[in-house]
Amino acid sequence: MDLTYPPEVADFRRALRSWLAGNLPEAWATPAFWATLDEDASFDLRRDWERSKTLAGFGGIDWPAEYGGRGGTRAMAAVGDAELMRARAPRSVNPLGLTFLAPTVMAVGTPAQKAEILGPMLRNDVIWCQGFSEPESGSDLGSVRTHGVREGDLFVVNGQKVWTTSARRADRMFALVRTEPGSSRHRGLSLLLIDLRSPGVEVRPIRQMSGISEFGEVFFTDVRVPAGDCVGGLGNGWATAMLLLSFERGASAMGQYTDFRRAYDEIVGVARALGRDRDPVVRQSLARRLVDLECLRYHALHVLTEVEQGRDLGFASSVTKLQWSQAYQGLFETFDEVLGADVGLNRPVEGLDLTALRRESFWTRSVTIWGGSSQIQRSIVAERVLGLPRGS
Amino acid sequence: MFFDLTDEQRALAETVRDVLADRFDLAAVRAVFEDAGGDGHPRELWSTIGDQGWLAVCVPTEYDGLGLGLVDAQVIARAFGVGVVPGPWAPTVLAGEAVRRGGTRDQAAEVLAALGAGELVATVALRGPGGGYGRSGVRVRADADGRLHGVASGVEYAGVAALLVVAALESAFDGSGDAVGLYLVEPSTAGVRIEPQPGFDATTRLAAVTFDGAAARRLPGSDAGAYADLLRRGAVLAAADLVGIARESLRRTISYDSSRVQFGRPVGSFQALAHHLADLHVAVTMAEHAVLFAAHALDTETADTKTADTKTADTETAATRTAGSEPSGGEAGGSEVGGPGGAEDPDVERPDPVLAVAVAKSKSSDVAREVTATMIQYHGGIGYTWEHDAHFYFKRAKRLAAAYGDSQDHLADIARVTVSPMP
Repeated sequence: MDLTYPPEVADFRRALRSWLAGNLPEAWATPAFWATLDEDASFDLRRDWERSKTLAGFGGIDWPAEYGGRGGTRAMAAVGDAELMRARAPRSVNPLGLTFLAPTVMAVGTPAQKAEILGPMLRNDVIWCQGFSEPESGSDLGSVRTHGVREGDLFVVNGQKVWTTSARRADRMFALVRTEPGSSRHRGLSLLLIDLRSPGVEVRPIRQMSGISEFGEVFFTDVRVPAGDCVGGLGNGWATAMLLLSFERGASAMGQYTDFRRAYDEIVGVARALGRDRDPVVRQSLARRLVDLECLRYHALHVLTEVEQGRDLGFASSVTKLQWSQAYQGLFETFDEVLGADVGLNRPVEGLDLTALRRESFWTRSVTIWGGSSQIQRSIVAERVLGLPRGS
Repeated sequence: MFFDLTDEQRALAETVRDVLADRFDLAAVRAVFEDAGGDGHPRELWSTIGDQGWLAVCVPTEYDGLGLGLVDAQVIARAFGVGVVPGPWAPTVLAGEAVRRGGTRDQAAEVLAALGAGELVATVALRGPGGGYGRSGVRVRADADGRLHGVASGVEYAGVAALLVVAALESAFDGSGDAVGLYLVEPSTAGVRIEPQPGFDATTRLAAVTFDGAAARRLPGSDAGAYADLLRRGAVLAAADLVGIARESLRRTISYDSSRVQFGRPVGSFQALAHHLADLHVAVTMAEHAVLFAAHALDTETADTKTADTKTADTETAATRTAGSEPSGGEAGGSEVGGPGGAEDPDVERPDPVLAVAVAKSKSSDVAREVTATMIQYHGGIGYTWEHDAHFYFKRAKRLAAAYGDSQDHLADIARVTVSPMP
């Protein structure tokens, strides 16, 4: 056990803290600030701020310098995530591109794709969304129906994607498309890069139970996509998609811990404001949630160690997903216990505005669904990690 | 950053498992378990433990020990949980820790070399009948002459120990109430009476120890903080044993349910079982991390200074209470660059042992109880029989879950640190 960071990571942390102190408006740290902005204004503010962060040298922390990154280590990236959360910096507007598409392009993209995609993504000149899920294709990704028919140098794409994060504001989509007519399941798929400004693309927002519309559905009617805009090889879409999803495994849970711990501390603040912090049942419930959060932090340190040692995390990433999503969701179940009879009110007492926490509490209902539902994760753990016999 | 066992520690874990498989398997455990009148202390196993150096891990090298720490000790404790191993290893190690932390050089020289070599069985007497782990649970008092009066309960292996470390109340000089000190007592001394206390977990043996003016030697470096520190070390070793129990119980259940066929298929292929077992795997994994972190937190504290002893000045209601600890809110680092001692992220680099131990013991107690109960359930009727080994795990988990503070005691500690201070 050695929980210290090498000097270069400590230097990086100091540099980032110092930059954040000078460049992150103080008002942004208050939850009410973001809760009162409309979605487009919020998006624009975050996009521009993230761009300036990149230009200051704090974007793509563990990306190679040749792609515009800082050329740092995985530990620096993890520390960076935690520092951004600690400072209450706004979330990225390009998370799916940065987390999934970028490392995929670095691994299997052509030189031209690397040049065209990576830099503009890092500067938020191009916002990416992911096109995997479809109305008939949720957990069962091999059943996608959106198809592209080859016509010369083009694919003509028809179909529909759904649950697309940032669909309304995205410029391009990396989409799993059936490019071999008559193929089924995992064969005949390609990962196409689709320009959402093309004729034939229609985007409709989906309003979520939290009241906002981060998701959307995207319809394709005879959309023309250059055949060269395919990552990982035509017909090789399933393998490319699996590679792409595997990058979630390396994603840092350190930032998540810091973020969830912020939520815990805010909920404790609410408990104190309402005098509920002296209720032994509430105290025990909060403490139980803290145990889960602390375990997530230890787990993040362990995963970082595995990554730094170059070990393959494999299906153990499902363990991470189950732990963080359920710890986070559970925390907000305790939030309801904290509020007790006041649970239905946004402002239960003078000076206490729960709008932001309430929106977050609804958001946590989604985290056990997207990115592989908890039920799918449990099946993966049971079969691939524990070696239990497959269900029928 | 390295949050894992080292290659050496992995090798140690393998050695302990191999040696136990070779010399003390579950048939041997059963023999001890069913020997109700016996002392529960298999001598051949003990001499093996001594020869292997498993008692010397925390003994400093100047006393011929290995000079390692709790991270290494928890490797052994985990393996002992896997094997539901009987014998006084854990209380002997703890008694050594009390002497190492609070004893004089002469006391350390007298006790630690023999203890590390397996020549001395020792134990700790830290609570009284009906009392919890903490000052309010102590039922022994030291008089002005340093003689002990009162009763300790649930003392592991008092019947075979040659040395007791006893927590005793003392009158504080400043009139602020009772202080606590740790005392060395030889059980053969006049005024010490040991009576076995029957219990359901026969992988250990418990006894009540009555002191009637028994002569004792105070560990001069001991105080309420040292007592709390000893309870924390006990909690970490118990937590490690519990995660060993939990991991092994899960492994045995998965193995059985992979081959047990009903309705024409292995029962482990049914999602009702498989998904629950997956959740348990996540929980056991987290408990393993938490035990490692807590052991590291105590080792780091040891390496830093011994001033932690004075920091923890009170043990009012539970095992790991630190008097006057402010709610930290997890903001130890704040936005300030550089914390105490220059740590950039003191939350991680200088972990709070009070919180770390509370998390580890709470999590491992809950997990081990759930997994061992599930082992019985998912074995069906056979798991409920005396012939099956499941009940060894279930009963040991039930006892250890309450040792050195149960889950609720530790959750109360966590609330004191992270919610608000409260009685």
